[in-house]
Amino acid sequence: MLNPYIPNLTVIKKITQENDLNDIKTFKLAFNNPSKFRDFKYRCGQFAELSLFGVGECPIGIASSPSDNFLEFTVKKVGMVTTALHNCEEGEIIGVRGPYGNGWPSERLESHDIFILGGGFAFTTLRSLIKYILHEENRAKFSKLCVIYGARDPGELLYKYDLRTWATRDDIQVIPTIDRASNGWVGRVGFPNQIIKEVASDTENSLAIICGPPIMIRFTIPILVKLGFPPKNILTSLEMRMKCGIGTCGRCNIGNKFVCKDGPVFSYKELQNMPKEH
Amino acid sequence: MKGRIFDKARLSEFIDDLIKKRKIYAPINKDGLTCFSEIKSSSEIYFDFQSKLSSKEILFPRCETLFTYKRVDGDVKLEEIKVKDEESVLFGVPPCEARGFILIDKAFSSGEFQDVYYLRRRENTIIIGKSCQYPRNTCFCTSVGGSPFGREGVDLLLHDLGEKYLLELVSKKGEKLIDYIQKYENATETDIKMVQRIEKVAKESMKTRLELKNIEEKLDNMFEDPLWKIIYQKCVGCGVCTYLCPTCYCFDVVNEQITPSEGKRIRIWDSCQFPLFTLQGSGENPRPTGKERMRQRMMHKFNYYPKNYDDIACVGCGRCIRECPVNLDIREVLKKIMAQ
Ligand SMILES: Cc1cc2nc3c(=O)[nH]c(=O)nc-3n(C[C@H](O)[C@H](O)[C@H](O)COP(=O)(O)OP(=O)(O)OC[C@H]3O[C@@H](n4cnc5c(N)ncnc54)[C@H](O)[C@@H]3O)c2cc1C
Ligand code: SF4
Ligand code: SF4
Ligand code: FES
Repeated sequence: MLNPYIPNLTVIKKITQENDLNDIKTFKLAFNNPSKFRDFKYRCGQFAELSLFGVGECPIGIASSPSDNFLEFTVKKVGMVTTALHNCEEGEIIGVRGPYGNGWPSERLESHDIFILGGGFAFTTLRSLIKYILHEENRAKFSKLCVIYGARDPGELLYKYDLRTWATRDDIQVIPTIDRASNGWVGRVGFPNQIIKEVASDTENSLAIICGPPIMIRFTIPILVKLGFPPKNILTSLEMRMKCGIGTCGRCNIGNKFVCKDGPVFSYKELQNMPKEH
Repeated sequence: MKGRIFDKARLSEFIDDLIKKRKIYAPINKDGLTCFSEIKSSSEIYFDFQSKLSSKEILFPRCETLFTYKRVDGDVKLEEIKVKDEESVLFGVPPCEARGFILIDKAFSSGEFQDVYYLRRRENTIIIGKSCQYPRNTCFCTSVGGSPFGREGVDLLLHDLGEKYLLELVSKKGEKLIDYIQKYENATETDIKMVQRIEKVAKESMKTRLELKNIEEKLDNMFEDPLWKIIYQKCVGCGVCTYLCPTCYCFDVVNEQITPSEGKRIRIWDSCQFPLFTLQGSGENPRPTGKERMRQRMMHKFNYYPKNYDDIACVGCGRCIRECPVNLDIREVLKKIMAQ
């Protein structure tokens, strides 16, 4: 029997500061044991438990793409574990166990036009998905891809380096937007849930993927429904406090579903049938 | 029914024989606290009607180390703490608690990942139950699918026949102890009839009989019911009901630093009755008050768990009724639910 609670050891290869506030960083990890990395087969939208020895663990969405040959996580500093991680330097060793959760439903994604709406720092597993779709071996399998990504101000947009590359491609429509006008910003101003109204097309046959703060999700879903996206085609990824990540510790349930093992990705249709406790 | 019969005085010989070869856990009385613990002699056994702490903690300890870590020259070494492969016997378990293990089994073994610590112990442990001849008025095992003489989850079952004990062989796993009981006489037809007689009396003496048919469906429509707001009022959120429950299995995973360079990852029991259980780093809490937490406890046992594993996650032991400091009685809550 494999012991799921023992993390793999990894070394922090690179730390990237993501935002002006400097409370969000991307950590690029390399497994100490490369064969363990080959076993760590993940899908876009899954997460892992990052392990800081002496401090604790926390669940973090995987921000790299399965097509990458490394593992990346983008972490906001909020509490004990995430602060300890932010205090780490390149070369330090941390633990990773996973991958966990269902992830974005790749087969369903392949057969639909995709509209992605991201808000704030909850863009991590969306970035994984976008990178995956745009990979040369995968792009042909997918149809139209439109990404609307909003942040409070330009300095808070994550993955600015990716956004720049994506903007040069013609097989993806990327619309970064900020909440309020700001000096030097030439892009869109406004919330993603307004911009989607302008760009959505053939909604009945398209998928909408939305990640952001709970308030953004609450406001956006009714708009997506009104635009004609079927509830089963509106997908989101939930966050709950987690410990085990594998459905044993009994912590992260909403009704009889465990967010860690039955989620974190749920469709709006599924959410409608779950108790309102998230 | 197959079994062996012997004078009560010979129980100690049976137990002491076992102790020579295996680890034995049994009910004891530790300065007034009745619980299960490893014993070194049969004289330590203390039969009460039901121990204050259930036998759950023998297979699922209150606190256990998962692994240790040590930093050496910029590297980290992990050492998994493996559950020893040693044959053990858990003796004197009431039938309700034995059923509790079956419920925990499902939660710890049915997903993609297995809880190796619990399952390894479970596999290595033979459970000798003890039938309950005199159920208490807080017992309601028969209302939730069990019985004071239930065989579910036990490998052998000890019956008290007054002057003698009848040790019933229940499972294949129990036959592993055949060498220890062969010297006792086979139970006769008359002995077996006697067990059946006291079993019948015990079942009939159950004072609490709850009609819980369709409780799962009832609760389907009760998430927003005003009932939760009423019943939680007197709960002080101490969590005793969950800590003592033989079917509750929620845990927390934490770190313990021993020196700056070494420490361990441990898991400890946790309770859905605590506000921190679901408090997120962002400050959001989907279960901010006792109302949501009480609802979670009832829903988990009588709706969510049954949906996932086809069984009610309460074995009717009555501990939460007896030990709640404010007398919050789960039977009353169940009656209110059924009356909706
Ligand atoms: C599926 C999933 C994916 C996530 N992806 C990301 C991500 O990509 N980037 C990111 O920055 N954050 C992500 N989070 C949130 C992140 O897990 C929490 O911010 C983090 O656990 C806080 O831990 P802490 O020890 O720093 O905070 P503390 O407040 O000190 O937290 C203490 C404990 O609470 C738990 N906890 C607190 N908040 C949360 C929370 N929101 N979710 C789960 N557990 C929590 C942790 O287990 C931690 O051990 C994700 C959460 C989930 C459930
Ligand atoms: S809920 Fe109460 S009666 Fe039921 S098994 Fe747990 S402690 Fe016993
Ligand atoms: S034992 Fe009683 S007071 Fe304590 S949490 Fe349970 S119901 Fe509430
Ligand atoms: S995190 Fe433990 S059950 Fe989901």
